[in-house]
This record gives sequence, C-alpha cells and structure tokens, in this order.
Amino acid sequence: MTVEEQVKDIVSKIAHIDKEIMSREATFKEMKADSLDVVQALVAVEETFDIEIPDEEAQKFRNFGDFVAFVEQEVSKKG
Amino acid sequence: MKPLENKLALITGSGRGIGKAIALKLASQGCDIVVNYFRRREAAEQTVEELKQLGVRVDLVKANVGDPAKIDEMFDTIAERHGHLDILISNAASGVGRPIMEIDSKAWDWTLDINAKALLLCAQRASALMEGRGGKIVSISSLGSKFVWPTYAAVGVSKAALEAVTRYLAIEFIPKGISVNAVSASAVETEALKFYIREGLVKDVKQTTPVGRMVTPEDVANVVAFLCSEEAFMIRGQTIIVDGGTCVAPWTSIVAKGED
Repeated sequence: MTVEEQVKDIVSKIAHIDKEIMSREATFKEMKADSLDVVQALVAVEETFDIEIPDEEAQKFRNFGDFVAFVEQEVSKKG
Repeated sequence: MKPLENKLALITGSGRGIGKAIALKLASQGCDIVVNYFRRREAAEQTVEELKQLGVRVDLVKANVGDPAKIDEMFDTIAERHGHLDILISNAASGVGRPIMEIDSKAWDWTLDINAKALLLCAQRASALMEGRGGKIVSISSLGSKFVWPTYAAVGVSKAALEAVTRYLAIEFIPKGISVNAVSASAVETEALKFYIREGLVKDVKQTTPVGRMVTPEDVANVVAFLCSEEAFMIRGQTIIVDGGTCVAPWTSIVAKGED
C-alpha cells in the first residue's frame, strides 16, 4: 500500500468520504470534510506514520495532494 | 528551601499558553515538571529549555489526552520514570467552535473527551501515583461553563462537566489525602484566543474587564500555585474565578458599549 493509499484510507474513514471523490486536486471543502475531520485526520496520519505535521504546514495545504505530498516527504525523510 | 522542592507536577498541555505559565510558576517554586504536549513539539521543547533554566528536573511526554489509551501510556511512562506524582494540573483543552445546531456527535465527543473525560481518567491514574504522599489536582475551566458565548456551546458544556468532575473528585479523594479544585478564567491572552479574535468573537475585552486589562496566563498560574500550596488546604471542590471582576460587574460591557 502506498503512502497516498494509506492516507486516503485514513481520511475516508475519519471523514466518511467516498474514496471515489478523493483526488489530489480536491480541497477538503470539496470532499465535504469539516475542520474537525481535518484535525482528526492529521492526528491519525501522524500516529500511523510516526511523523509530525505542524499546524503552520497544515495551513498551507491547498488540497488533498498537498497533504499527501507533505506526508510522503516526511515519511521519506525517516527512510 | 522552596515550597515545592522535591515535588513532581504533571501539567497537561503545557507546551504553551496557560499550561506553560503554570509550569514556569510551579518550577519557580522548586517543583520538578512533566511537560505534556500533543501536537506542538517545538513549542514544548522550548518550554522544557526554559524550565531547565530554573534549575528543576524536567520530563517531556507526548500524549493526546482525548484518547484513554494515550493517557494510560503517559501515566505508565511517568510511573516507570519517576514512580510517583504530587501535582496534576489538568489543563489541556480543545474544542469545536460551532453554533449548537451544528454540533454533531463527533464534535461533542472530541471536545468532551479532551476537556472533561481527560480530567477523570488522569485523576484516576494520578491518584495511584500520589498514594501516601498527599497530592493536589487543579483543573482549568473557563467562564463558558456558566455564560454563553457565540459558538462556544461544546466547550462551555465540557467545562461545566469538568467543574462537576472536580467537585466529585474533591470529595471522593479526601480519604486519599488529595485536594482537588478548579480555576476558571475569562478570556486569557494566549495563542488559542487569537482564533476567537480572528473570528470576531472577542472584542474589547480590555474595555469590558473592570480592572482594565485582560487576564494573563500568569494570573491563572498564580492562583493554581496557591491551590497547590498547603495554605489552600481547606479549599475543596471549588472553582476559583480569575476574571478581573467581569462576573460581578456584567454591566461594565453595557457601559463600555454606551460610550462608543
């Protein structure tokens, strides 16, 4: 399972989003994820990959793709 | 000898804001500190450095107090590393700012778990580590437990629950030699408050506070430190309000508005 697939899995479960509508271009708003969904997704992803996603970074995510890209980058840093 | 020398305090959510101010205050009285944080590691590490400069021993434990399993892990770590605890400050807080019709089950659980259930679960675990040593537990509430602010329903309810848990703990923990109280503040100058200012929910707080300035984290920390002292022995289950007179003079805001 790729990092993207795992992140998709986590976010879809937390925010009850159909994976079909989850694309890298989609914003959280477009995916109907509210601010609590986003926070809970951040927490779950942090725990799953043992990484930290500072709020300052999270605020820069324009869409789901930015989120995935940041997680991929942090995971690769860990080797 | 400083009053809290050889004591150990756990302050949840002490990487920044009110929790940090409490940690610094207790450390200034010689207390060793366990800093707990959830998501802001850099801020927590900075707090640890500042505490170390006060000459006390400092430990850092990451845990989401909204998750019972993480609370258990945190206390297992404290038990293993220190074997005891003298003071618990239940300060970590979160919340969903929404009108009441938009509060769904998930938002309710998130807010109540972190703000109220965490006190119950932390106090239960802390009491075992305080056995035979006495102990102090202080929870941090807010005026939203009694008063209504826009979009504050979930947090306000959680704080009311926290104050009730505080009262029950205070009485049931008397045989354990543990005193339990809460400190409730009006709007405090912290990073968290910036959210409400940004949303336009807090205006002219200075103007509407009778003493003419906002409550600072240090104001709250001073009262917490008093409740952790032996001088506060006979205060049990109380919620001490730190608000610069706002509650007893609600007309201040009306007068201030009238002057505009």
